[in-house]
Amino acid sequence: MRTRFLIVDDNELVRQSLRTVLQANPEWEIAGEASNGQEAVEVLKGSRPNLVILDFQMPGMNGIETARRILEIAPAMPIVLFTQHASPELEKHALSAGIRSVVSKTDTFPMVGIIEALLGPSEPPATKRQKAK
Amino acid sequence: MNIDRRRTIAIIGQGDQRKMNEQEKVNILMVDDQPAKLLSYEVILKELNENLIKAHSGREALDLLLKNEIAVVLMDVSMPELDGFELADMIRQHPRFQKTAIIFISAVHLTDVDQLKAYQRGAVDYISVPIVPELLRAKVSVFADLHRKTRQMEMLNRELRSLSSRLIAMQDEERRRIARDLHDSVGQLVATLSMNNGLALMQAEKLSPPAGEALRQNTELVKQLSKEIRTISHLLHPPLLDEIGLLPAIKLFADGFAERSGIQVAVELSPELGRLAPKVEISIFRIVQECLTNVYRHSGSKTAAIKIWSSDEKMLTLQVCDQGKGIGLERRVSMAALGTNNGVGLSGMRERVRELGGTLEIQSNGNGTTVTVVIPETTAATVGVS
Repeated sequence: MRTRFLIVDDNELVRQSLRTVLQANPEWEIAGEASNGQEAVEVLKGSRPNLVILDFQMPGMNGIETARRILEIAPAMPIVLFTQHASPELEKHALSAGIRSVVSKTDTFPMVGIIEALLGPSEPPATKRQKAK
Repeated sequence: MNIDRRRTIAIIGQGDQRKMNEQEKVNILMVDDQPAKLLSYEVILKELNENLIKAHSGREALDLLLKNEIAVVLMDVSMPELDGFELADMIRQHPRFQKTAIIFISAVHLTDVDQLKAYQRGAVDYISVPIVPELLRAKVSVFADLHRKTRQMEMLNRELRSLSSRLIAMQDEERRRIARDLHDSVGQLVATLSMNNGLALMQAEKLSPPAGEALRQNTELVKQLSKEIRTISHLLHPPLLDEIGLLPAIKLFADGFAERSGIQVAVELSPELGRLAPKVEISIFRIVQECLTNVYRHSGSKTAAIKIWSSDEKMLTLQVCDQGKGIGLERRVSMAALGTNNGVGLSGMRERVRELGGTLEIQSNGNGTTVTVVIPETTAATVGVS
């Protein structure tokens, strides 16, 4: 079974590059994209991703608020915060909100390894809706 | 008169029309129990072209003072019921009239002791009878002009404060906008470059050795570029301030400052402090930024400390201290006047604190400097920010 990603970033160029990076792995595919937090919550429900890559600074809800909303719907969803503002302070807040990892947009080299570690060998997490079915 | 004054205040600030205020009439209150004397004062002072108001007793004078803005009080010392000295005492007790010019006129109390009594009550002059009309006119005219100029200064001062406050708000907004633009445009392009480099690096073994090396160098350059953009953007306006709050923004700024300056910064922030009103958060952040910049530029200190705590009386205290050489008087004057590259100096800090209804105190000696700011704790909830 292929791993499905939801990409959330307000910048099209960033989403495009993320697509290229993720699709370099034939086992990975893009389940959906959103350009803000509200849209991410909507797309999440229909796209059934295994992992969410989430920008921090976006118009409207920021990444941490968006993560909280996503985790209300899919409590086990692994979320990676992908940001230009990576710092120990931000990481502390992100982790306390349930985000699994913070990756700097300017040092993306470790991202693939982090994603692989987060996905692990186990089955992909299901959303509440999936569980209800 | 009050309506005219209000109109003049509205006109003030329109530049070339300011001259109109110079012609503005002021009120001169003449107090004497003898109508004939009041009439003679009126005749003498008429050509000053000011508003002359007559009071026939101390009580009537007090009543008129409360209802009008008086520039000069001209009063007889000897009056039944309330004499001139008693009236002066009562006038001075009222905060509004502590600087009102009082000129005594007396035909009988002419000793040095009498005059001293008058000056102790804040009189600006003591005129004996018989009055020399030109002299009385000249003296009253000086204090009427002084009052007019004081009023103008007060109005200009208010205008300056309002302008300064608007400038600070505009500067904050402009910095926020530039930081956001940097993040949204250049920052994202650099992030994309970085990702593309990362992707290429995964297949670097397919490149020739020089091409692989160039790719690795480019990757490093992009990292440095990104770090510099990030620093500029964070100094302009820290994103954590809006998104998460004051305390994380201060911690992150202090870490970055320590890294750039080599000055160790201890940060002690009351953890129970929630989100504050946006204006309070940005003001405290800017004051911390300004203080640390001063520590770096002037103190010679190798350490600094930032403390923020909240008291039971709902007052918020910020303290920034260093162990440097202190601020000399000369330095304080230039700090107040010039500020630093990162802000508008001590006067800017004072202005921010004044606007928040707080106090700013600087203690400085050869062992270091402590800046203490105390402001009412206005939370985000208080001003309806979600």
